[in-house]
Amino acid sequence: MTTFRSLMAAGVAALLTTAALPGLASAEVTVLGWPGGSEETALRAAVEVYNALPNTADTDKVELLFFNRDGFYDKLQADLAAGSDAFDINLIATYSIGRYAPFMEPVDLGTDAEKVFGKPILETMQFEGKQYGVPTDLSLHFMYYRKDLIDALMADDAAKARYAEIAKKYLGKELAPKDPDQWNWDDWAATALYFTKAVNPDSPVRYGTVLQMKNLLFNMMVFQSLPRSYGADWTDASGKVTVDSKAYRTGLELYKKLYDAGATPKDSLSYEYPETNAAWTSGQIATALQWNAAAGELMNPDTAPAVAEDTAVVAPPSGPEGRKDHIHGLGLGLNKSSKHKEGAVRFLKWLASENAALAYAKAGGSPALAPDVVAKIAADRPDLVKLGEFAGAYGYVMNGATSAGALSVYEAQAKEFTAYWAGQKSLDEALAAATRTMTDLLKK
Amino acid sequence: MHSTPQQREGRLLLAPLVAFLIVFLSFPALVDIVYALSDVTFQTMRAPQIVGFRNFGVVLADPEFWAACWFSLRFGVLTAIIECGLGLALAIFLSPIVSRHGWTLALIMLPMMVAPSMVGLMYRLVLHEFAGPLPHYLTLWFGTSPAFLDANNAFWTLVVVEVLQWTPFAFLLFHVAYISIPAEIREAAAMDRATAWKILWRIELPMMKATIAIALGIRFIDGFRVFDNVFGLTGAGAGGSTMSLSIYIYQSFFKGGQIGQAVAASVLMFLASLVVLYGAAVLKAQLDRRRMAA
Repeated sequence: MTTFRSLMAAGVAALLTTAALPGLASAEVTVLGWPGGSEETALRAAVEVYNALPNTADTDKVELLFFNRDGFYDKLQADLAAGSDAFDINLIATYSIGRYAPFMEPVDLGTDAEKVFGKPILETMQFEGKQYGVPTDLSLHFMYYRKDLIDALMADDAAKARYAEIAKKYLGKELAPKDPDQWNWDDWAATALYFTKAVNPDSPVRYGTVLQMKNLLFNMMVFQSLPRSYGADWTDASGKVTVDSKAYRTGLELYKKLYDAGATPKDSLSYEYPETNAAWTSGQIATALQWNAAAGELMNPDTAPAVAEDTAVVAPPSGPEGRKDHIHGLGLGLNKSSKHKEGAVRFLKWLASENAALAYAKAGGSPALAPDVVAKIAADRPDLVKLGEFAGAYGYVMNGATSAGALSVYEAQAKEFTAYWAGQKSLDEALAAATRTMTDLLKK
Repeated sequence: MHSTPQQREGRLLLAPLVAFLIVFLSFPALVDIVYALSDVTFQTMRAPQIVGFRNFGVVLADPEFWAACWFSLRFGVLTAIIECGLGLALAIFLSPIVSRHGWTLALIMLPMMVAPSMVGLMYRLVLHEFAGPLPHYLTLWFGTSPAFLDANNAFWTLVVVEVLQWTPFAFLLFHVAYISIPAEIREAAAMDRATAWKILWRIELPMMKATIAIALGIRFIDGFRVFDNVFGLTGAGAGGSTMSLSIYIYQSFFKGGQIGQAVAASVLMFLASLVVLYGAAVLKAQLDRRRMAA
């Protein structure tokens, strides 16, 4: 009986081993990707193409690894710092390269990479002049607006008079409604106030805008294009922190003015990406500065039946320094502790090729591609044309925003700026505290 | 001083447990102490530089640390009192129903089955002005809905969310304690013409005293170290208005990269817990002595 049981156990073990081995043997390069969104879908499709290539050796085949988005960067940081070799290639973002660079290795993507992505986009994956990854997706912001509401406003003289009255009362100047593509930040604010029920009871929607004001680092990226268009930067050329500036004050005060006037939902201090999308799809919002990634949801009649057909996008409004649009890239780079570096580099080089970028884009990814490359996929992905256009014309990265302390700088700003918006600190106190923390973080 | 065979056997059987504790508790505790006394970042985790008690000084001088302590203390005390008050009232008033229909107990226990982080996410939806049922109906009936999660209301919203989830736990403890009181005692008191109020006040509550103390203690500890649902619902809150001590430690460690300070804060939290527990044990011993003397 004992012998029979031993034989059974050995048999089951052998069965399990044969079932598991093919997967292990054929996947030598493990990629830790950004889970749960279009990035995952696109990466799966690209890896399928790569693994099926005739010249991809069995030992170079790629296996994908995903875990939850919540706390992704914290877990990744802990894994990298611990020297984990559970993955050979991992996700990086423009704002976190400096933090992860000590645990990663630069990669040479070859000369063709610049032809595919263009120099500025490759730079979103560089730290101290070295290339740390392939830029797979680019993020920036669109100003979403309701075409139907703006068209009605522009066609109604009485509405225009009311608009001018509201602008005078809240912004101190008489303004006339404009085409959203011509907006400066005051025009946008006046439009947001006009479409706010608390300000204008005749407004067809409840709020003129929806601001993402939660104490969250990503919300600072959405906000900072406003002060940037007034000339804001984190530091000057000498490295001195310049957050306590007229430009930042203008931006922060405008957000507070809109929040206090009720132009954004009352709970905006707890709003981030999903709350903004939910507010927009309700049909009760006139404008929203939101990530480009939301376009798929907000302009799709299946996911936003009430507003999709009337939703349009332009680049963020302009300031005295013109239009500015925060950009950052998501990409894939090489783990220093990898045990399969050669195979991993071969995959990264392929990923930086035109064929790979087109396959990735076709499957739903959002790479920023050079004009002649994006033209090849413009029919399938017209949004990528706008993405490349906005990134090229208005994209910027703040001084120090790829440093090791960049994430912590965003965190510090989020804490101090939300304290001001919530009325817990004065503007002077918030900016003084942000300056202190940023000086400490950026000198390291 | 030769040990008996039974003692030797006992030690042998205890050895795996001791080894487990050494590996899984002592080692992390030792690393914690080293990091708390070191200048250490993610880049230097394997080569921390000892700086003495500097991290403790920095943490103790940080107003955010004290704000986080105050948040956790208020949150822990308030939620423990409200949950135990409600749990006790429900245990007493629902006792006849729950004793007769056991399945109602499962129904009442349901909120406890949901992971706290999921509760945070669930209430983000429930309280959302455009997607949530609560603001929808409040707006429909009263024309407006409060900002549940703004800096002024977030604390009380979080208290309500915590109370709704964990009152069933207090209820369960009190229900078991309440039905354990022998029926004869109540019958004897009733025969002596004691009113229901007097039976409750003079007999039942004193007999449930130990359970009440334990429930308050457990709920306070859970409330004091709250993380998941608060983090899921409001994060650290506007300007850090909903930053509990656990969130402070998490933010310092992962977001700020100040590992030494984060670990020093956790050591301080551990020492404070130790003082409170030791104080409670001393108090209990004194009360027991007084009772014995009486």
